[in-house]
Amino acid sequence: MALNISLYTISAVLILDNEGSRLYAKYYNPPAIDGPPQSQTQLLSQQQPHQLSNDNQFQTLSQQLKFEKELFSKVNKIHQDIILYDNHLITYKQSNDIILLVVAKINENESLIYSIMANLFESLNILLDNTIDRATILDKYDIVTLTIDETIDDGIIIETDPAIIVSRVTNPPSNQIDVHVNIDKGLFDAFSFASKKISERLQQGL
Amino acid sequence: MSTSTYKKQDAYASSGNLPDKMAIFQECLQQFNASPVNAKKCRQLLAKLLRLIYHGEQFPSQESTTLFFSISKLFQHKDSSLRQLVYLTIKELSSTSDDILMVTSSIMRDIQGGDIIYKPNAIRTLSKVLDSTTVNAAERLFKNAIVDKNPVISSAALISSYNLLPNSKEVVKRFTNETLESIQSHKVFPSNQFQLHEFYGNSTSKLPTTSYMYQYHALGLLYHLRNHDKMALMKLITSLSEGSALKNSLSIIQLIKYIHKILIEDEALIGHLYPILAAFLKHKSDMVELEACKTLVSLQHLIKDDQFMAIINTLQKLLGVPRTATRFAAIRLINKISVKHPEKILVVNSELEGLINDENRSISTLAITTLLKTMGAGTIDTGSVGGESVDRLISKMTSLMGEITEDFKIVIIEAIENLALKFPAKHKKLVSFLTDLLRDDGTLPLKTSIVNALFDLIKFLPDAGAKQLILMNLCEFIEDCEFAELSVRILHLLGDEGPHTTNPSYYIRHIYNRLVLENSIVRSSAIIALAKFAAVCGGHVSKNIQILLSRCLNDADDEVRDRAALSLKFIKANHKNFVVSDSKYDLASLESKLTHYLNDESNFDTKFDISEVPLLTSEELKSIEYNRKINKLDSGVTESSDAVGNEDRGKESGDKLSAGDSLSNDLLKQQEYSQELSAIPEFADYGTLSKSTITPVYLTERENEFVVTVIKHFFIDSQKLVLQYNITNTLPRSVLQDISVIAQPDNELYEEDFIIPISELKPDQSGDVYVSFSTPSITDGDILVAFGNTVAYTNKDVIDEEGNVDQRDDGWSDEYQIDDLEVSAGDFETPLYNSNFTAVYDQLDNTDSSVVTISGVDTLDNAITRLKTSLNLMPLDGSDFVPSDATSHVLKLLGKDVWGGKVAVMARLALTGGKVVAKIEAKSETETFSSIITSGAY
Repeated sequence: MALNISLYTISAVLILDNEGSRLYAKYYNPPAIDGPPQSQTQLLSQQQPHQLSNDNQFQTLSQQLKFEKELFSKVNKIHQDIILYDNHLITYKQSNDIILLVVAKINENESLIYSIMANLFESLNILLDNTIDRATILDKYDIVTLTIDETIDDGIIIETDPAIIVSRVTNPPSNQIDVHVNIDKGLFDAFSFASKKISERLQQGL
Repeated sequence: MSTSTYKKQDAYASSGNLPDKMAIFQECLQQFNASPVNAKKCRQLLAKLLRLIYHGEQFPSQESTTLFFSISKLFQHKDSSLRQLVYLTIKELSSTSDDILMVTSSIMRDIQGGDIIYKPNAIRTLSKVLDSTTVNAAERLFKNAIVDKNPVISSAALISSYNLLPNSKEVVKRFTNETLESIQSHKVFPSNQFQLHEFYGNSTSKLPTTSYMYQYHALGLLYHLRNHDKMALMKLITSLSEGSALKNSLSIIQLIKYIHKILIEDEALIGHLYPILAAFLKHKSDMVELEACKTLVSLQHLIKDDQFMAIINTLQKLLGVPRTATRFAAIRLINKISVKHPEKILVVNSELEGLINDENRSISTLAITTLLKTMGAGTIDTGSVGGESVDRLISKMTSLMGEITEDFKIVIIEAIENLALKFPAKHKKLVSFLTDLLRDDGTLPLKTSIVNALFDLIKFLPDAGAKQLILMNLCEFIEDCEFAELSVRILHLLGDEGPHTTNPSYYIRHIYNRLVLENSIVRSSAIIALAKFAAVCGGHVSKNIQILLSRCLNDADDEVRDRAALSLKFIKANHKNFVVSDSKYDLASLESKLTHYLNDESNFDTKFDISEVPLLTSEELKSIEYNRKINKLDSGVTESSDAVGNEDRGKESGDKLSAGDSLSNDLLKQQEYSQELSAIPEFADYGTLSKSTITPVYLTERENEFVVTVIKHFFIDSQKLVLQYNITNTLPRSVLQDISVIAQPDNELYEEDFIIPISELKPDQSGDVYVSFSTPSITDGDILVAFGNTVAYTNKDVIDEEGNVDQRDDGWSDEYQIDDLEVSAGDFETPLYNSNFTAVYDQLDNTDSSVVTISGVDTLDNAITRLKTSLNLMPLDGSDFVPSDATSHVLKLLGKDVWGGKVAVMARLALTGGKVVAKIEAKSETETFSSIITSGAY
């Protein structure tokens, strides 16, 4: 399999419950990066069929669900951290009634993919107050989605350190702030108007 | 009804059920358009919306656009935690909505003056809504963000630019300087980075000040901006690998990948780049060490022996780490090394033995398969039957077999079979291991894999004793086998192999037992097996079997009665060939012929001519199977080592087949050629095509103005040789006309008959030029020849987009010299398998020998590959495997020539002073052919 030199490293992030149905599923479809330089055009035409077959694997929902179902039967209650399945490298962690899985290409760095998964798990653990289970995940779904979005964007790894990932995720707004905003609305509008004008001027000046 | 209402009230269930799509949609429109916006409610609503999206629900384009529009209303609200989720939602909806450009200005405003919390989110979202026309407007924003002091913003801008690469590479190229600046700069988080969550407390000293992730993103982007320029790339790599320019592990991994890529393209740089890679073998992070090992292992053909040790040492260290993923990765690599250089990893054997009991079954299985390979390497020189290490391993495996799942058992069984095939001397222990396993309980797939392994061993092990041993074990197995399909297969095999053994009556007894005890399916196949014994052994065996079969004429089942009656008839009439056949049709060719026949109804007027389908003798069939097996062994090993963890055998067997089927594909290809040629009237009276070279030979560089490949077709009966030159015009602005190839033979016995030229080739078209020669016959002795080739053509310029040329343009004629073409001995041969090389070799009488230096190779391994391909023969007795420290080797090759005779070659190779000298002894059935082989150049 061809060496992956793009930053698109992760193929999918999944959170499945204890019956294998999805709580969160995000498949990343990396675009064909970089108009290939001339020397590669020939190579590319040979590789294409292979690549296509691989990329198309998760195109439709039913393909994805089939993959998840079969994968789940391989990993459920078997704590192995890492397996190769169906030409993918999969690292996973099971806790209470959920499994967090990170799927990558088969020749990715195993240790790297495992740390991504472990650190993502750790970040969720901090943000969900040490209770990673189905109910909490569904309850604080906004936090879960933001955490994943701050770790992986379109398959590119953004950050690996749990402390930093956590620091990027906002808590839901409390009602208090809401009230505060309403009172000072006039002032706020004036301020935002001013800052808008200033920045516009600045840009023109630049 | 009551249960469902009860369920709805259950708190747990209600939070778990997926919210209703339409309800959420309506509520979203309502809440987002409300004034003032309730931030808390909206964030919850967005979370529900995301839940639907991440569950796989899709909103149709129109609804999605409506949603998108109302979400953009939320930009009025300043709450940063709401804004963060708004950005995520926009990103997810951007692929299905239409009017995404409308939020561009809001996003840009946020990037310029927004809160630090959601600024990175805004930057990352921006790449989703921009298209190639609007990207210019954001150029300055991106540049500023890339050089921002805050690492999070810088990373976000770099990622966003990276995502823009496919569509607007030209714009992103202008960020090169900023990106380079980012790699080299030192960025730290602002002091308030960790303020969002109070649980960090005041212990700010423990928190990281920077993660250097921006280096990773900048490096990734920079590579794509520079990869057209190799010199610049090399400079980048050298500068970044010095000292500790890169502080982030991921960025180092990325750098190693680029080095890998460069080395694949230009292997000569290894001397320059190896020290850099070697330095990364000792690094504080596992993943960097691992990546360095990975790269070096995949380039192992470039690495010297002493350098190998450094890799092995690192891997040895990684085998001992507590993290499963790392151990797994390390053993995967070791397994990969063991395919080519099992002797190199003998040093880690003790670690491997320790890993057999690893709790991760993928690791333990890989450990076993690797050990099986290294053992082969350890004992091959002495040729002794096993060693104590084999005993120890087998006893360990036996104890392990009880604990592991079936999938892994199957993998181990395959590994054992492969070992037995590669090193036939050790079959006894391995066979007994397999048969023990066969007796234990197991499901059908497991038993099938064991039986398959034993079948292959029967076919390919040279030792008759081994055959007998396995057959007897199989007999015992069918005595109480619960799977009818396995019994049928074994009975079939007994029918084929049993009659040729020393004690056929033993097998007849077992088969007859089946006739008495089993169901009708097994009974009917037992009858055919018995009939084979009668037909082959003859004499009193035949008489006894006739008695047995006549009893079956009263069987309760139709099929059994029919088969018994038919068999009896054949045996009595002495139609041996109806019962046992030595040859089979090539199924792939048969299939293609039949489809061809059925596709056109006009064909139905004539009968299907089965004689056009090539008949394969059992020997040829074996060669195909053997090749498939060995190919699977070699090419499949990398995959199969992966497959170990893969556990899913069915899926990747497809890949393996494609690699292993080459030989039977050759037959199919051959048939295609003969169809193509027979369609050309000039070749009509040439008779049947004897042989074609399968892979086209390139006579030009592959990126030349025109690319020429050639295939040689031999018509032995009519003594003709047809050269098929395939010419591709790669010139974008020229049309080639009247193209012919002038082939000048250096052997006077070859006479040119005619040339079929191509009239015209437009840009990117290809066509075939045929040149026909009359050839000398084999009795003339001198059949080898080399052709000097020149392409002659008329060149005209293209004048319009359709590729037309000016009619008045006469063009200009030109000639172009291309590479020479040789007809070598290998072109007259096809590989053949036989499990007993020595016997065949001794039978052949036309001997000839010569001593040659094999030019251009410096190792025995390469010399063997060279001989194998140039002679186009099949290596036997595992003689194509050389231990890497050996200085001499005997290579045994067998094949068939186009005149139908066998060819055997024994090559004694010796490595002296960096050159490989070979004494080649060739024996052939066809007179004078052996001298042709030895006189050929290598």
